[in-house]
Amino acid sequence: MKIVPFLPELFRHLFKKSATVKYPFEKLQVPPGFRGTPYLLTDKCIVCRACERDCPAEAIEITSVAEAEKKFKMIIHNDRCVHCAQCVESCPTDAMQINSEFELAAFNRHRLKVEYIYTKATVKPKTTEA
Amino acid sequence: MPFNVPIGPQHPALKEPISLRMTLEGEVIKDADIRLGYNHRGIEKLAEQKTYIQNLYLTERICGICSHSHTTCFTQGVEKLMELEPSKRGLYIRTLVAELERVHSHLLWLGLAGHEAGFDTFFMYTWRDREVVMDILEIISGNRVHYSINTFGGSRRDIDDLQKQKILGSLEFLKTRTQYYLNIGTTEPSFLARIAGVGKLPKETAIALCAVGPTARASGVPRDVRRDDPYAVYAELPFEVCTADSCDVLGRVVVRVKELFESYKMIEYLLKNLPPGEIKVRAPRRVKEGEVVSRYEAPRGENLYYIKSNGTDKPERLKVRAPTLANYAATIEMLKNGFVADIPLIFAAIDPCICCAERMVELVDYRTGESKTVLMSSLSNRPFSGRETRFGKQFSSQALSLKKEVAWPF
Amino acid sequence: MAVLKPILYLLVYPGLLFLFIYSTFCEWFDRKVYARLQNRIGPLHTGRSGILQPIADFIKLMAKEDIVPEKADKVMFSALPVFALAIVSTAALYLPLWHYSSDTITFNSFPGDLIVVVYLLSLITLILFLAGWHSTNLFSMIGGVRVLTMLFGYEIPFLLALLSPAILANSWRLAQIAQFYQKHPLLLLPNIIGFFVALISLQAKLERVPFDIPHAETEIVGGTFTEYSGKKLAFFRLLSDIEMVVGAGLIAVVFMAGFPGGLILGLINFIIKTLIIIFLLTAIRAACARIRIDQMVNFSWRYLAPLSVLQLLIVIFLKGILR
Repeated sequence: MKIVPFLPELFRHLFKKSATVKYPFEKLQVPPGFRGTPYLLTDKCIVCRACERDCPAEAIEITSVAEAEKKFKMIIHNDRCVHCAQCVESCPTDAMQINSEFELAAFNRHRLKVEYIYTKATVKPKTTEA
Repeated sequence: MPFNVPIGPQHPALKEPISLRMTLEGEVIKDADIRLGYNHRGIEKLAEQKTYIQNLYLTERICGICSHSHTTCFTQGVEKLMELEPSKRGLYIRTLVAELERVHSHLLWLGLAGHEAGFDTFFMYTWRDREVVMDILEIISGNRVHYSINTFGGSRRDIDDLQKQKILGSLEFLKTRTQYYLNIGTTEPSFLARIAGVGKLPKETAIALCAVGPTARASGVPRDVRRDDPYAVYAELPFEVCTADSCDVLGRVVVRVKELFESYKMIEYLLKNLPPGEIKVRAPRRVKEGEVVSRYEAPRGENLYYIKSNGTDKPERLKVRAPTLANYAATIEMLKNGFVADIPLIFAAIDPCICCAERMVELVDYRTGESKTVLMSSLSNRPFSGRETRFGKQFSSQALSLKKEVAWPF
Repeated sequence: MAVLKPILYLLVYPGLLFLFIYSTFCEWFDRKVYARLQNRIGPLHTGRSGILQPIADFIKLMAKEDIVPEKADKVMFSALPVFALAIVSTAALYLPLWHYSSDTITFNSFPGDLIVVVYLLSLITLILFLAGWHSTNLFSMIGGVRVLTMLFGYEIPFLLALLSPAILANSWRLAQIAQFYQKHPLLLLPNIIGFFVALISLQAKLERVPFDIPHAETEIVGGTFTEYSGKKLAFFRLLSDIEMVVGAGLIAVVFMAGFPGGLILGLINFIIKTLIIIFLLTAIRAACARIRIDQMVNFSWRYLAPLSVLQLLIVIFLKGILR
């Protein structure tokens, strides 16, 4: 029966740098491709509503502001978003993109909602979605 | 003189709410009773309102630790219904993430076993080394938990050479650390005193009570869905089913550490033999009518999904049988004739993921203690206004086809 | 003027104020070393490198709501933490730190005060059992029963191990024992087995891992302290810290030749010696898992008690040779 077999490893740790990162004074870098918050490139959106259909959390809301001038309003409810990036995948014109922001804490959930008012673009979609 | 001790629903030994009522005599447990339902979220009902693509992400969020197993099980089932053959490269990436998830889950469990035994140093060390796996998963999939790497027809993201090199490099580090933890876990005398001989589950009882996963494998039952019913690329992947013969918590530790080594070998094989090609195939939006049962070996055991489709883009019925649900009967057997001090360890040894297992609701008559199972159809028939009494709303017995009046528990 | 010195002794140094400040410092030291051994940081932001963290915890607990269970006996429930704190502070009086004399009998040094200190420390265990009993909570009752069961295990090895150097030094008086070993430092070596036995028994008395069975967090919620909150819990936590200082001081007096050097040098001596002992206690705490109560009693009677008897035999043998 060994007595305290990993005592040497324990004492070695006294001299090692600690594994804790002193957040928020020091931050870790997130890798590229990290799924943060979605945002819209308004000059590419053709209002196909594929992102609205596919979002599992109903976090994208597209309404029409002015029928004649083809003005639309998209609200991204970041308080409902689950950061799955399905909207980026469903978008046929690469209008929905996702960035690396994850520090989204706020005191009021309505502050997290983002609104975009734009006119419908006439970009040709790359692939046709069924 | 026997008395009842309630462990839970709120208890520091449990990470999630579950009620274990023990009947004790002194320090020995005579009987145990498990009550579920504190974590019920109505996922099966919600899945009927969402499309298949939305359900990919809903099923993922049934559990945080074994998230990939739920979504892969679902994806496999739906691909069978769609009669879609996913791309080979996509399947390889799916299996790679599955094995990485197994690594992270087993390292997490090792830390938890240490923490329940009071061995906090072990806990800190294993979780520090688990960060390496979490970082790899973040690089591959974009998130540390809830990887969302599946889509119908393959996977959503690809792996390039730089990521491959990083993963192979970290594997070497993880191998040495896991070997070290195996040594500690099997030779540290105070830890061994807590886990050896505790929570015995003989082989015949394990088979009779349908135990799954490492709980069954530690009793010598070589049951593994990857070997018995291969899915993804397990048919061509060389690996061994790890078993142990000691039928106790030490056996479960040894089985999980052996599985860690097997996973490292599998990850190396997958990375070296990744086939070229597309990562996904086009999938239709509507699914033909049919029903399918899909099985998957999650880190905790066998995960079972039953999906019924009716030709639209929303499923008609989704039923989830998580592995922890299958292990509850075996847990009660293990708890009998154990000590009070062993309760957290025995319960932690089945690797409980209680939120995975919350699928049933039982109505208990608070006056007699009798429980009844009620069909969903009879629940939707009752009127919603009931008589308000001191004990809560009571529904008139005419609306229900039951003989006694029942009330919602709590 | 002559009455000022005892009052200063009781209230300031080494009385209540010094005990409060030093025990919180020792708790900080313990937490910091424990964290570093586990590759973490420990307390960081309160005060320079977290040194005020235990005092901050104490102040926070004093400000929280105090709840007494409905069926509990109010008087006993509220009085027990105060009793315990009073007892352990009294035990600290007998450590020969300053203003003690080894010849005349004073209020803080008399023949037999070694036994008095050990008795007072055991009285605390009884008070912990009473605290668990009066909480009328199932978990506290189990915790209280476990505290007493542990007492059966470690008390005898602890006492025997402490008595051996006293027998060698021919006295039951702490100040005289310290003086004897200051004169003959080589005679500390035969007491080494007793030192380790006393160290392990002290770990059990302080209810730290591997012996923190009475308030095992993952098993019986809070053990004896489940129902305590607010000021009472603050006192119990302070009790654990002061008990650690008194226990470490006791072992330092008996096994490490006390604290010679008067006021300033004696204080530095005290700090260094107690910190060494607390470092050893923390290392044991980091390196072991928690054992079960039956395994603990088994362990004490199988290993600790025979070792302490062996130590006693060595000392008796040595005394015969030295005569």
